[in-house]
Amino acid sequence: MLDGSRLIFISSQLNKFYRILKEELFFKLNAWTIISLLVGLFIFLPMAEVLWHFTDTADSWEHLKETVLGRYLKGSFILVLGTACLSIITGVSCAWLVSCCDFPGRRFFEWALILPLAIPTYIAAYAYFDLLDMLNPLLVWIRTSFSINTMIYLNDVLVYVVTILVLASVLYPYIYLLARSSFSNQGSQLIEAAQMLGHSPKSIFWRVALPMARPAIVAGTSLVIMETLNDYGAVKHFGVPTFTTGIFRSWLGMDDISGALRLAACLMLFIFLLLLIEKGLRGGAKFNIGISSSQPFKRYSLDLIKSRLAILICSIPLLVGFIAPVMRLSFWATSNIEKLFNASFLKLIINSLSLATISSFVAVTVAIFLAYVARYFSSSSVYTSNRMAILGYSVPGAVVAIGILLFSGQINQLNGWVLTGSFFMLIFAYLIRFLAVAWQPIDSGMEKNCEQFNNASRSLGSSTFKSLIRVNIPLLKNTLLVAGLLVFIDTIKELPLTLILRPFNFETLATRTFDLTTQGQIPESSIPALCIILVVVFPAIWLNRQMEYKK
Amino acid sequence: MRRNIFNNVFTILFLVATISTLKAEINIYSHRHYDSDKILFKQFTKETGIKINIIKGSADQLIQRLISEGNNSPADVLLTVDAGRLERARAAGVLQPVKSNILLKNIPSAMRDHEGYWYGLTVRARVIVYAKDRVNPSELSTYEDLADKKWKGRIVVRSSSNIYNQSLLASIIVANGSKNALSWAKAVRKNMARTPRGSDRDQARAVSSGIADIAIMNTYYLGILANSSQRADREVAEKLAVFFPNQNDRGAHINVSGGGVTRSSKNKEEAIKFLEFLSNSKSQETFGKVNYEYPVKIEMNKSNLLKSWGSFKVDEVSLSVLGAKNSEAVKLFDRAGWE
Repeated sequence: MLDGSRLIFISSQLNKFYRILKEELFFKLNAWTIISLLVGLFIFLPMAEVLWHFTDTADSWEHLKETVLGRYLKGSFILVLGTACLSIITGVSCAWLVSCCDFPGRRFFEWALILPLAIPTYIAAYAYFDLLDMLNPLLVWIRTSFSINTMIYLNDVLVYVVTILVLASVLYPYIYLLARSSFSNQGSQLIEAAQMLGHSPKSIFWRVALPMARPAIVAGTSLVIMETLNDYGAVKHFGVPTFTTGIFRSWLGMDDISGALRLAACLMLFIFLLLLIEKGLRGGAKFNIGISSSQPFKRYSLDLIKSRLAILICSIPLLVGFIAPVMRLSFWATSNIEKLFNASFLKLIINSLSLATISSFVAVTVAIFLAYVARYFSSSSVYTSNRMAILGYSVPGAVVAIGILLFSGQINQLNGWVLTGSFFMLIFAYLIRFLAVAWQPIDSGMEKNCEQFNNASRSLGSSTFKSLIRVNIPLLKNTLLVAGLLVFIDTIKELPLTLILRPFNFETLATRTFDLTTQGQIPESSIPALCIILVVVFPAIWLNRQMEYKK
Repeated sequence: MRRNIFNNVFTILFLVATISTLKAEINIYSHRHYDSDKILFKQFTKETGIKINIIKGSADQLIQRLISEGNNSPADVLLTVDAGRLERARAAGVLQPVKSNILLKNIPSAMRDHEGYWYGLTVRARVIVYAKDRVNPSELSTYEDLADKKWKGRIVVRSSSNIYNQSLLASIIVANGSKNALSWAKAVRKNMARTPRGSDRDQARAVSSGIADIAIMNTYYLGILANSSQRADREVAEKLAVFFPNQNDRGAHINVSGGGVTRSSKNKEEAIKFLEFLSNSKSQETFGKVNYEYPVKIEMNKSNLLKSWGSFKVDEVSLSVLGAKNSEAVKLFDRAGWE
């Protein structure tokens, strides 16, 4: 039953919606908004293909549901939970130590702890490829002194432990970065106040700093979870059944596209649910505002024992996530050094660099355009289509690849162009996958810096285009560089899309690494893997410095 | 800086453009990533002047790509392992039948599609490999015997996602019926010493380290390990021996790696020439010596290592039939809980 007040509420809501719709249709439709709507929808198309096929009747679905779906769910769930927890513990504790305590080496750890970000998950898995084999003597000992069943059980547990350890060791920096900036910027005034009120460091951490940092931690964790679900190399290597491996198995292994699409759509829905939960957990708070903090508060200085403990805590993730893998790779590389300097290798580097440069340029250009049009005309339809266009970042590469193949297949048949395996397609795939990476900083930069200027320039009679070129772009110069570098880093690290969509005779550092490792030539793959890390490390350090200066 | 980047871009575009204007060339989609192929491709170009462009990838992805590219696909030849995949490619309509007297002469009829859609180029046997110090070969007999309780916790084998396992199960379906095949898969799964993971090579390592006593794997991996540049690999191979199962009934399960001409091929003649080249006796010898695969005429084998494993009886079921049973095999694996 609907009572009166409820009815009035609903009708007023409907009325509001109608007004917005009318406004959108009559006043905000112009060349700019129409083009950006089309661009946004075009980028969303391959993902829409995946969702669209969700309604197909698939005979294989019953079979999948009965037999393997539970396994994939369980595998993905354990992996996500374990990786997220371990990353939170590592990321938050290191961030707290580095931003609120003082100990020898603090300044070093502050930037060094982000270094594992330079290592893609599949390379981390290769660097630790024999970690499970190293545990064999232990298992054999258990087999002989206890029972075979104990060994089998322990082996299953160890697979998850090792995979979680490897994933978390290179993914925790997402949480570390966001938590650190929250601790040192936003929380500082409140922490000071709590200090004056006589709270102990422990109680400040639990009762002030941690709740304050919650939105940042949640945001970081959702990035970690997406990366975990996106990973194909590490889970395949260690043999963990997940949705991503399931998609590859149904799609490519069983030639069952409809089953794969169902799985992919399930995964997409799961991720959208996650995004909603994230929004709820953030409680509407934005984690990047309030950088206004006046003075950095005085850090707790630690005594000798505590300092050593702090150094130990910060060293472990750095050691496991960066130093050890890089040392192993370097060791293998030096034994293959004669293969390092040849023309084909130089070509690999050029391929990777130019591909990443072009795609970051494209992604930034599209992102500026989309964000600008939505803000300038404050059009909610463009804003919605933007939101849809950036979903590609949360969808695993395998799913995007399916969408693009379906999509390009249709285009192939329409007009006889071969789009698959062209540079154009590859760049388009990167655009879908990484637009969010460029769009997010640009959009929030525009929100913070450009709104009033746009109004001013509009009222002074500048054209839309002139406002963009003369006002927004100069104001956002730094943000654009940051956005471009983020896309650059992600593209260099990207594997599955490149693997599927690359043109003839075309190899990048990532595909060469993968090719060599699938042939079991893990030592030989160390050289391209190290190059990826090297290429990514310097922009990453620069980005970190950028964040520091912002303070 | 920016100009440099543009220069690089143009260099690449230029390279791509020049490559595509050269005459007499073939484009190959290949799943095979062995040194033997590199040697043979070079040899082919040297002998015929036909340039080879290659995209390596997993066969399934390459087939998917051929489907999506349709008639416009630039590929001329698809090279892959396992008749199951070759059949899948044929069923997907991305291959075309070709006739060549040389191919018919060089390749026994069991090793090729009878309509000429695909031709086997090498043979690999999927056998039982055992730890010399813990297993007496008299304990071993057939694939079916691996379901026996005496093997509890002693078997390792890779995931059922792997096509070699799928074809093996397909051969068991053909031999014993699907009901028996299902209970076989269930029982073998229960006898495993660990959840399936890793490659055939990893199964060999697990057996040599003592995790398990026997592994189901392909023969050539043992050859690769025995001739590896890494000492640890050679030590693994030393501890292991090969057993050819079912010698008193249908014979050991074998499969081929092979290739076919794609439906969209614009260089059909060159593509056939390429397959003929790979089937000639010299190339067949290279496959054996460099990658430890059997030649398609198994009795013509010239590799000493392969000879040392002895000759064996081959399961003569048609490979196309195994390909047709592939999807049933995958479903049985799922139902058996074999990951």
